[in-house]
Amino acid sequence: MIGITSTGAYVPPARLPLALLSGRTPREGGPEKAVAWNDEDAVTMAVAAGRACLAGFDPATVDGIFFASTTWAFREKQAAALCARALDLGRDVQTADFGGSLRAGTSALRSALDAVTAGSLRCVLVLAGDCRTAAPGSPLEMNFGDAAAAFLVADGEPIAVIDGFHSVADELLDLWRGEGEPFVHSWEDRFVVQEGYLPNLAQAFGGLFERTGLAAADFARFAYSAPDARSHVAVARSLGVPPDRLQNPLFGRVGNAGAAFAPLLLVAALESAAPGDRLAVANYGDGAEALALVVTDSIEKQDDRRGVAWHLARRRPVASYDRYLKARSLNPTEWQAPPGPGLSATIHHRERDDDLSFRGQQCRGCQAIQFPAQRVCETCFRKDDFDSVRLADRTGQVVTYTFDYFFPTPDPPTIVTVSEIDGARVHIQLVNCSPEETRIGLPVEFVFRRIHQSGGRPNYYWKASPVPAA
Amino acid sequence: MSDTSRPGIRDQVAIVGVGCCKFGENWDQSPSDMIVDAAYEAYADAGIDDPQQQIDAVFTGTLYSQKGPHECSDALKLWKPVTMVTNYCATGTDAFRCGVMSIACGMYDRVLVVGYDKPKDRGVSGPSVLLDGVRDLPKTPAGWFSLCAATYFEKYGAGREDLARIAVKNHHNGTLAPKSFLKREITVEDALNARMISWPFGLYDCAAQTDGAAAAVITRTDLARNHRDDYVLVKAVTVNAGPNPQKDPANDFLSWKPTVWAAEVVYAQAGISDPRREIGVAQVHDCFSLTELLSYEDLGFCEKGSAKEHIASGRFELTGELPVNTDGGLKTFGHPTGATGVRMIYENTLQLQGRAGERQVKDPKLALSHNIGGHPTACGIAILGLP
Repeated sequence: MIGITSTGAYVPPARLPLALLSGRTPREGGPEKAVAWNDEDAVTMAVAAGRACLAGFDPATVDGIFFASTTWAFREKQAAALCARALDLGRDVQTADFGGSLRAGTSALRSALDAVTAGSLRCVLVLAGDCRTAAPGSPLEMNFGDAAAAFLVADGEPIAVIDGFHSVADELLDLWRGEGEPFVHSWEDRFVVQEGYLPNLAQAFGGLFERTGLAAADFARFAYSAPDARSHVAVARSLGVPPDRLQNPLFGRVGNAGAAFAPLLLVAALESAAPGDRLAVANYGDGAEALALVVTDSIEKQDDRRGVAWHLARRRPVASYDRYLKARSLNPTEWQAPPGPGLSATIHHRERDDDLSFRGQQCRGCQAIQFPAQRVCETCFRKDDFDSVRLADRTGQVVTYTFDYFFPTPDPPTIVTVSEIDGARVHIQLVNCSPEETRIGLPVEFVFRRIHQSGGRPNYYWKASPVPAA
Repeated sequence: MSDTSRPGIRDQVAIVGVGCCKFGENWDQSPSDMIVDAAYEAYADAGIDDPQQQIDAVFTGTLYSQKGPHECSDALKLWKPVTMVTNYCATGTDAFRCGVMSIACGMYDRVLVVGYDKPKDRGVSGPSVLLDGVRDLPKTPAGWFSLCAATYFEKYGAGREDLARIAVKNHHNGTLAPKSFLKREITVEDALNARMISWPFGLYDCAAQTDGAAAAVITRTDLARNHRDDYVLVKAVTVNAGPNPQKDPANDFLSWKPTVWAAEVVYAQAGISDPRREIGVAQVHDCFSLTELLSYEDLGFCEKGSAKEHIASGRFELTGELPVNTDGGLKTFGHPTGATGVRMIYENTLQLQGRAGERQVKDPKLALSHNIGGHPTACGIAILGLP
């Protein structure tokens, strides 16, 4: 059976209390938004969601990867190819980026389904991530949040089958961001809702019901994006859907996650779905599209994975608005030097297995695992006799550490460790951890992050993160 | 790992003249200015009045120079065999070592060694923050050299106070060296309360980067009396490489291997079996306070883990049994990377000759200088002695 065989998600742990955006003191449990930090972006979040999605699956079976976002750093250079390398997929994989619209995530999901149904691909990983920025102090800033979601679409034992789809296109200047612009613009929000959102969603759902012969009452749960909480409720009312069948849109917990918004809600809906449940999903942007899904018995085999609930629970509240501005480079404090050529592309190319796939090597002579790849063994000095081994999915422990206050960061100090991974020693930064929580022997896992922007381009590597408590 | 079976070049090479310019923020001096100051002082010290005739070859040590060996030969108008040596913080000792080897093998009779650097021309207070790759960041020396702290403190019950005492000692000694950069006493509280650089190093745990140059004239031992009667002999010199501690699977972060291995080599070559009693004075690479502390142990001045007791007892003070960093060390004399090893040769020569003024150590017979640099991945040690 063809359908969604696995899901994953990522919500950044940094949570900015909305009260700080209006200069008030935050209260415990008050509304907040999830914000990607200075070493995160749409790609790093999508890779994290993808790793969660692929847990328990052989990456060699993936022959397609689609990446959906409105916020990728390049106009010419593909994010899906980068994600494929970070996820250590094979070279024979079809890669495609979907962009330009908040609908991109569900469009990618639809295309994956079509490819597998047509037999042109066997197993497609769909990633949706977005990291949109609004002008500091604007209403959109309070509205936006950052997140990513991932789906595996294949012919196998799906946890949900997509059996209905309807999309409508609309040309409308409601929200937009021009080439090279940092901030999203919006026309008056009442126009966006009344002329854009409500009519398009009505048409998308209406068309879906007509095609499938189903009515709103046939669906156990509705998961759909919205410009804001109020318009989200308005859709429910117009469909006659009671509040207990609405998937929480997570305003005040995550925020409007752009192209990742509806996909994230679908992942959340599946986390609490029961066999036989019907789900209705809708996504808005340049029109709207709606999907109908049926949850299968296989949903009960879904293990506890790193989905929406898992990430929502893991919070590291941001202490001040100023820290957030620094993390997103929204308050330049020094003359910005023009970007030079940046890192050498040839060195980067030679080191891509080390840096992007986080692969080390195992000596066939003494079995020692070491990093990075090198021609002479660190331990027994044997030459050119190694197997490549992936370190990213292993855990390790901290051997020693320091707190570097000198290195520029929005949030000093930078915690730097030497960590050991099955015998290999790696000099690596530690995130999601405070100096007080750092200790020799701390168990760590590894996360894909943007290290810096040398040359005006994002440069990626890995960092350590404490293994979360179960 | 090290070959300790050969006597090396013991007693074959003599130091007959030393010079050192003022270390500091030498805004008004070019590298050539400093090279000339240091070299001509060494010439005068060696009674050399016609260097173009009397110097056979030049070895220069520098890390930051972009101009190659020509920078030195042009400054001094020495159209001679010249080699530029670079080896991170071990550069000065390595340049000296190359000069010593060239005389010991019989290729040259009289050689000038000049170490120099002008890190202050880069426009930053400390080391530049490098972004030349994605791995191993931050590439900050304070971040590298502090990695032994968590492990050493935990195992041996040491703490920031022990490091602070080293900083206090070196600040005091620096006030007695006319050419030092900083002449300011500090207290343990000053050190503990200073701005944090990379834990556990606060500002006073870190050496001052400065401009500077130092020079030495060395000859075959049988020619030394033509220059000075109180010449000093080179007993041993080495520069040893070690694995990068950040990826070495067998690193315990309680000592730095390059120092341990280099010490084995020089003690064997110099015929030293009990360094803590035989070494009379030592200049030890205090790029950071913990580096000096670990070096006491890695050089065999005391047992591993016992440094804090010896620091507290004053063994390494100017008035103690084994004075370390008698001119204030990197900490207060300053640290122009290429010059530091040669500045240590300068200070040890003065100490052995009884010319160290207010900071003179009583009757040293053997003097040791120690440089360690890179991650750290290279250590240079030289041992000088009286004939």
